[in-house]
Amino acid sequence: MKHRNVGIIGVGQTVHSSHREDVNQPELIHEAVTAALADAGMTMADVDCVVHGNMELFEMIHQPDMWHVIGDGAYGKPGIRVTTGGTTGATLVCAADALVASGLHDIVLAIGFEKLQEGHTTGGITNMADPLWGREIQTGALTGMTADAMIEEFGEERAKKAAMKHRVIMDKHAMKNPYAHRRFGFTDEMIPAMIANTPPLVGDLTIVHMCSQSDGACAMIFAAEHVVKKLGKKAAWIQDHVTVHREETFNLFGNHTEVSTMRYAATKLFGRNGITDPRKQIGVFEMYDPSSWWGLDWTREFLLLSGDEHLKMVENGDIGIDGSFPINPSGGVVASNPIGATAMVRVAEAALQIRGLAGERQVKRDFDLALASGFGGTLWTVLVLLAKNPPVSEEAQS
Amino acid sequence: MTDAKQELITLPQILSIPQRFATGPIMGRFLRELRDNKRIMANVCPKCGRFQLPAREVCAICRVPVTDFVEVGPEGVIQSFDLVYYASPDPLTGKARKAPYTTTNVLLDGVKGEDTLWHLLNETDPKKIKRGMRVRAVFNEVRTGSMHDIKYFEII
Amino acid sequence: MEEQNKDRWVVDGQLALPYQYFAGTVGSHFLTSLRDRKKILGQRCPTCNKVFVPPRQTCERCFANLADAWVELSDVGEVTGVTVINYQEKYLPLPPPYALALIKLGGADTPLTHVVAGVDPANVKVGMKVKAVFADERKGSLLDIKYFTPA
Repeated sequence: MKHRNVGIIGVGQTVHSSHREDVNQPELIHEAVTAALADAGMTMADVDCVVHGNMELFEMIHQPDMWHVIGDGAYGKPGIRVTTGGTTGATLVCAADALVASGLHDIVLAIGFEKLQEGHTTGGITNMADPLWGREIQTGALTGMTADAMIEEFGEERAKKAAMKHRVIMDKHAMKNPYAHRRFGFTDEMIPAMIANTPPLVGDLTIVHMCSQSDGACAMIFAAEHVVKKLGKKAAWIQDHVTVHREETFNLFGNHTEVSTMRYAATKLFGRNGITDPRKQIGVFEMYDPSSWWGLDWTREFLLLSGDEHLKMVENGDIGIDGSFPINPSGGVVASNPIGATAMVRVAEAALQIRGLAGERQVKRDFDLALASGFGGTLWTVLVLLAKNPPVSEEAQS
Repeated sequence: MTDAKQELITLPQILSIPQRFATGPIMGRFLRELRDNKRIMANVCPKCGRFQLPAREVCAICRVPVTDFVEVGPEGVIQSFDLVYYASPDPLTGKARKAPYTTTNVLLDGVKGEDTLWHLLNETDPKKIKRGMRVRAVFNEVRTGSMHDIKYFEII
Repeated sequence: MEEQNKDRWVVDGQLALPYQYFAGTVGSHFLTSLRDRKKILGQRCPTCNKVFVPPRQTCERCFANLADAWVELSDVGEVTGVTVINYQEKYLPLPPPYALALIKLGGADTPLTHVVAGVDPANVKVGMKVKAVFADERKGSLLDIKYFTPA
């Protein structure tokens, strides 16, 4: 049981874009921080601690948290820097949760950002490969292996159609999200032409399946339960989270018996929260989907499905905002990917959904739980469960 | 007065920092065997018997030191492959790679477990490559103690 | 031991990738001012009554918007700290030895970091008055000020 509950009471994000030449990094972050403070009805004076993160190899600025004090309000405050690859944003959420739940701080501001235009995204990510084993041949987050495996399992026509439909659904969601970077206006009718004509990056992973490279920042305010109650705020409560990574990441590829980190994380998280039917018990899932192929494949992994159930969910439109199990009402990572912020944006969007503040992309039916995932680094998964009502805590019981 | 239509300054820079990577005794042993003996070596966990590629100091599952090396390959089976069309920069040189090129994860003969060797395949026509195909490592005549002492894998 | 050392060596490599830095609207105004008008600008925070240089859009202490709060600074200042760089590196602006100093320009509350040249580096002392010398060819960077020299 948690020592004390932590509620998300403020969310701020920039409009994610590939054209933010008008701001430098602290100025970009400042936009998200002021938005989060405004949402929480607070000023920087109320914040006890600031946690900050991004992936340094994308801008090649060392210790940017020091420089960013001129924009993020951390002047004179304790702070921690977190950097865990693509999962950074979600790990920042876990760090903020731990800092508040522990009793060390009452109000924590978490900031995730990236200015991908300042570097080379794939070149930067490639540095995660061991320099003596694989760095020369690795290509960042680009791989066609999942497409290859799905084509083998379900047949080329069906697999390619489902992946492209996933892409189109994500774009339809992005069109309703004023913060999304890429909003193309794709339609179902365009799918055959998109399949036939889009240039490939790696194998059957084409440029349209692959996520954005965005400049953007996200900031969130985490508060202890007694603060939330005192302020009379509507919070999205952190019920639970789990982080999973595996040692043999770059060695196990193709058919293997080891369970994916996604499935392992979901099994653990659902198991200890009494979730036996995730599609009924969870109202919305903001999944970190770096590509449409992965978004499709990981639907099966996260929801602990088998066979072609996940393909049917996409083919039937179940994952739409008004579907039976909405996935990525925000448009997901394929629409906006400011990497250091992206995993945090998943939790932020899930928090907006819980609080009923997601505007045109709000899932309308009633629900109590929202799920958010982070992905990155060496194929890690961070899985976060948010709740409308505060869970039982030690503090509440005493 | 800060003009809204003003010029926005960008400072481009190619960063090139020299780096030195220590092989350590475990990766060093693997690389030395490639160079001196044209042998591919995995190391074996004394507890679970899992073959590790690349060789690692500790079996992460059993949490014990791994000391025994065993030769594997040089032939094996394609577990997966990637046909790379996108020529991204290689951060070790700063130069764009020549694309297309094919990478492959090979389950080498003799390996107990599922660790694969990650390398290049000398075939770029996707119609000619299938998972499950047998491949063989082709070594360079001149070897320096690097993964590229293996030139590539070829389909047999 | 001999056997073990055969397996340990060091491989030379690099980290080489292209980057670009965006100065932003505020930073660009500062840099074009150096380039086109040979003027060093600062910003005054109206709440804290402090003048900052180099530029920033926000006062870090009170969050006031400083985007239009420009003030012209003197190109003469006082050294508030100094160190002598004694090693060679391709990214440094000059070969060694040279003095790198914190310089509090007239009108500013924060010091600017820059090179002091035209004097033996060992003789650059705290309190010394120095004046900016602009480069003939200027590109919109801090090195449009070539160096500071004793005034």
